[in-house]
Amino acid sequence: MVELLSYKKFYDEPLKKDEPVSEEITKDCYTVFACRHKFCREVCPVYQELRNESYTSYGFHAALLSVSRGIESLGNMKETITYCLECGACELRCPNTLFGGDFYKRRTTTVDLVRKIRRDLIAENEKPNNWGEVEKKIDQYKKYYNSSPEEIRQWAKDLEIPTTGDTILFVDYFTAFQETVTVRTAAQILMKAGVKFGVIERPGLTLGELYETNFDEWLAHAKETIEALKSAGAKTVIVVNPHEYVYLTREYPKYMGSLPFNVIFITEYVAKLIENKKIKLTTEVDIKATYHDPCALNKFSGIWESPRKIIESIPGLEYTDEDPVSQWYNCCGNGIASFKELHPELSYRIGTSRLRKAADLGVQYLLLGCPHCKDQLSEVQTKSKINVEPIHLLEIVAKAMGLEV
Amino acid sequence: MTSILKYGTIDDKILEELRAIVGDENVFTEPHHRAIRASVPAPFPLHKWSEHTPDVVVLPGSTQEVSEVLKISNKYKIPVVPRGGATGLADGAMPLRKGIILDIKRMCEILEIDEVDRTVTVQPGINMQELNRVLEKLGLWFPDDPASYPVAVVGGRVGTGGWSLVGAFGGHVPDLVLSMEVVLPTGDIIRVGNGGGRKIRKSSVGYRLKDLFIGHQGTLGVVTEITLDVFPRPEVEFPAFFGYNSFEHAYENAFKMTTSGLRTLGAVVIFDEEKVEYLRRDDEAYIPQPKSIKSIIATVMYGTEAEVEGAKKRLFEIAEKDGAIYLGEELSEGDWASRHDRYALPLHGRRRSDWQVVPMTWHCEDAAINHSQLPYVRKRWHEIASRYIEQYDGVFDDWGMFMYSNPPFRPWGDYLTEIDIGINELALDEETWEAWVNMKREIAEVVIEVEGSISACHGGTREGDVEVCVRQELKDGQFELMKKIKKMLDPNNIMNPGKYMLDEAYQEG
Ligand SMILES: Cc1cc2nc3c(=O)[nH]c(=O)nc-3n(C[C@H](O)[C@H](O)[C@H](O)COP(=O)(O)OP(=O)(O)OC[C@H]3O[C@@H](n4cnc5c(N)ncnc54)[C@H](O)[C@@H]3O)c2cc1C
Repeated sequence: MVELLSYKKFYDEPLKKDEPVSEEITKDCYTVFACRHKFCREVCPVYQELRNESYTSYGFHAALLSVSRGIESLGNMKETITYCLECGACELRCPNTLFGGDFYKRRTTTVDLVRKIRRDLIAENEKPNNWGEVEKKIDQYKKYYNSSPEEIRQWAKDLEIPTTGDTILFVDYFTAFQETVTVRTAAQILMKAGVKFGVIERPGLTLGELYETNFDEWLAHAKETIEALKSAGAKTVIVVNPHEYVYLTREYPKYMGSLPFNVIFITEYVAKLIENKKIKLTTEVDIKATYHDPCALNKFSGIWESPRKIIESIPGLEYTDEDPVSQWYNCCGNGIASFKELHPELSYRIGTSRLRKAADLGVQYLLLGCPHCKDQLSEVQTKSKINVEPIHLLEIVAKAMGLEV
Repeated sequence: MTSILKYGTIDDKILEELRAIVGDENVFTEPHHRAIRASVPAPFPLHKWSEHTPDVVVLPGSTQEVSEVLKISNKYKIPVVPRGGATGLADGAMPLRKGIILDIKRMCEILEIDEVDRTVTVQPGINMQELNRVLEKLGLWFPDDPASYPVAVVGGRVGTGGWSLVGAFGGHVPDLVLSMEVVLPTGDIIRVGNGGGRKIRKSSVGYRLKDLFIGHQGTLGVVTEITLDVFPRPEVEFPAFFGYNSFEHAYENAFKMTTSGLRTLGAVVIFDEEKVEYLRRDDEAYIPQPKSIKSIIATVMYGTEAEVEGAKKRLFEIAEKDGAIYLGEELSEGDWASRHDRYALPLHGRRRSDWQVVPMTWHCEDAAINHSQLPYVRKRWHEIASRYIEQYDGVFDDWGMFMYSNPPFRPWGDYLTEIDIGINELALDEETWEAWVNMKREIAEVVIEVEGSISACHGGTREGDVEVCVRQELKDGQFELMKKIKKMLDPNNIMNPGKYMLDEAYQEG
C-alpha cells in the first residue's frame, strides 16, 4: 500500500466567518495557487460535466486565498464547496503531490480542505441547499446504530458468525442495512475458504456525512469502533467497504495514532487466498467485463492490483482493462460523503458518463470493488438503461467458486 | 492623451439580459468565482488582486450565445475577456479593465472528424488531450503538443498563436488551423480560412485574414469553431536524450543536429547548466548522474519505423562524434513522457542565502532567438536575474534555461529561448512588483538588441514586455497598423481592452 497519510494539523483549527484566515492555511492555499497549471481541473469528474473551474482544486484553494485577502467572505463559499465528490483525483494529479510529495513530505490535500470548510461553515450555521437531505441521512444512520443486535446482523442471517476472533470482518451500517449482498457474499467466500472470522456486534458510525459536519461526534464513534474491535480480540480486520478502509487506514490514525490491529482490504485478502489455493475458482463465468476502480481504493489507498489479479483468475471471463491512472478521471458519481444528497442530478450525470465509458468498451458487465459504487451505478443503470450491468466482483468470485449467494 | 471611451457599469438590468442569454446557472457574480478568474499562471500581482477581478463570469454554451453576449457588451460598452484554459503565460486572459469574463470551456464538442480530407472541427473549449483521445481511435493525431497539452484549450491556443514542442515535425498552431468561425466584437459571426475554403490548406484568394485572428489575445473577437489539420498517427515516437559537460558543448552539437537534414526530427531542446542544477533540486526528476553531466539535449523523432531506424543511426553518430553521452532508453522515455507534467514545481523555490524552501510561482520567458545569439542571450539573462535575486533573495529565483527548436516543419535557425524565474507572489508589494517588471523589461530588451522576437508562443502582452514590444519590436509601422485594425473591428474597445496598449487607438490629443 502507498503511504498517503498527510495530516495538516492546522486544518483542525476552525475557520470562522469574520475572522482572518491563518497564515498556515494561506500558505497552504498559495502552494496550489502558485502552480495554476490546472492539471487538477481536467481530472475532476465534476469539472468534466460542468466545465466550471470554480469547482476544482485550483478553484477551492484560490477562493480561500481570496478570502484570506479580504476579497471574499467565507460564507459565500457554502454552495461552491459542495461541488466536490471528495474522490481525491486532483490531489494525486497535483504536481505538488505527484512530483514533490515524497521529497518535501508535503502534499496537496484538497479533500481534507473541502471537508474542513464544509464542517466549519455548518458550525457557522451556513447550510447549503438541500442540506436537509444530509441531515435526514445522518438521522437514518443513527437509527441503524440504535437498532437491536439482531437487526444489525440481519444481513448475516443463517450464517452463524461469532462476535469475537483474531480476524474480524468489518461491516459498516451501509453494507449491513442497504447494500447487503456485498458483505454477505464476502462472508460466504471467506467461510468456504475456511477462514475463521467474527463480526463485531455494534460498530460506531463511520458515516462520511457525519465526519464533515460534526467532527467530535464522528470521532467519538470512531473510538467506539476501535474499542469494539479491540475487545473482540481483533488482530486482523478485513474491510469490504473502501470508504471504511480509508477511515481505518488514513483518517483514524490521524487522531488516534496507529491502530492495534492490521487492516486489510477484502480484495487483497481474497487475492492471497486465491494465490494460496485456499479459494478454488472452478466454474467458468462466461462474460465480457471491465473494472471500475473505486476512488477510495485507487486514488486514496493505491489498491488497484489485487482486484485485477482476482478478475484475471476467473475462468471464462473476458476482461478489458482500463488502467488505474486513466481511471483517476472516473467516479461513479456517489462521492465519498454528502455529494449525492446535495447534487442528485449531477451525481446521476457523472454515473451515466461512467457507464457509457464502459459501454464503449463493448462489455456486458462493469465489475466493482465498492458497495457504494454498486448502489449508485445500479440506480443509474436502471434509470438510464445503458447496456452495461454493474456487479460487485465478489459476486463473480462467488460464482466461480460455485457458491449460491 | 485622454481616452475618448467610457465603459458602462454592469447593473442588474445587464445581468438579467446576460442570464436570459446563457441561463441563470451560467452567470456568476459572487466574488470568489470572479477572483479565481483574475489570473493566469504568469506572475500575478497578488497585492493588486481586486484590480484584475472581473465584474461577472459568463459561461456561454454556443456560438449564438457568444454573439448575443458580445452584442450586449458592445451596446452597453462593457469589456469582455475571453478565458480558455487559463494557462496563457502572457496574462492574455487577465482582465485589465474588469467587465465580463467569457469562460468558453463549456463549448467543448468535437463537431466533425473528416477521415478522408483529414480534418477535425471543434469548439474552442476542448483540450488537446481530450481531442487526441478520440482521434487516436481512428489512427489520427492532432500534433499540437505544448507542455500545457492537457490543460490549454484549442480556443486559447488560437488566441495566443501557440507553439508546439514537436513543431519541427508537426508545425505549430498557426500552421494547423485551416479555418475558423469568429464572433466579431459587434456580435457579427464570420468565417475565415485559406481563401473561402473550410478544409483547404493553401489558397491565394483575398487577404490572409485567418492569420489576423490567430494570436490576437482576444482583442479582435472570439473564436467559436475551428477546423484543424490532422496527421496520421506516426508509427514511431523515439525520444533520445544526450549529456554534455558544458552548455557550450551542447550548443555546438545542437547546431549539427538541427542542420543535419533529418526530416524525422520533431524537437531539439537544450537544457543549460542552471536548468540541470534546478532539476536536481529533488530526487524524482529524470536527471542523470554523474554530476559531470552539466547540460542536456533532448531530441524526439517521428515517422515510420524505417525512417526512424535510419535517422536514429545518423543522430547517434552526430552526438557521439562530439563526445555526447546517450542517457539511455529509460531516462529518455521517462523524461519525454513526463514533458507535460512537471514544468514548474512551487516548492522548488529557494531562498539562496540559506537554501530555505519558499513556495514560488513561475515566470516562463519564451523569446525567439537566432542560433548565433544564444550564448550571448544566456549570459545576459542569467546576469540580469542574479542582480535582482541578490537584491530580493527569497522573492526571486533563477530556475535555468531551455532552448527549443522554434521553426515549423524544420529544426534549424532559431530557438524558443526560455529562462524560468521563480517568484514568491505572497511577498509581492509595490516595490517588489516594480522590481519584477523591471527585470522583465531588461530581459525583453536583450531580445531586441539581438533582433529576436520577444515571444515565440505566449504573446507580448505582459507588463514589462508590452512596452518593449509595442515601442521597439513593432515600431516600424506595425503597431500603428494594429491600432487602425483594432479600432475598425472593435469600435468601442470592448474586446480585452488594455492589451497590447491598444487603448491608444481610442485616445486623442
Ligand atoms: C505548464 C505550462 C506549459 C506551457 N507550455 C506551452 C508550450 O509548450 N507552448 C505554448 O505555446 N504555450 C505553452 N504554455 C502557455 C499556454 O498554455 C498557451 O499560451 C496556450 O495557448 C493558452 O491556452 P489557454 O486555453 O490556456 O488560453 P488562455 O490563457 O485562457 O487565453 C489565452 C489568450 O487567448 C484568448 N482566448 C482564449 N480563448 C479565446 C477564444 N475562444 N477566442 C479568442 N481569444 C481567446 C484569451 O483572451 C487570452 O488572451 C504553457 C503554459 C503552462 C501553464
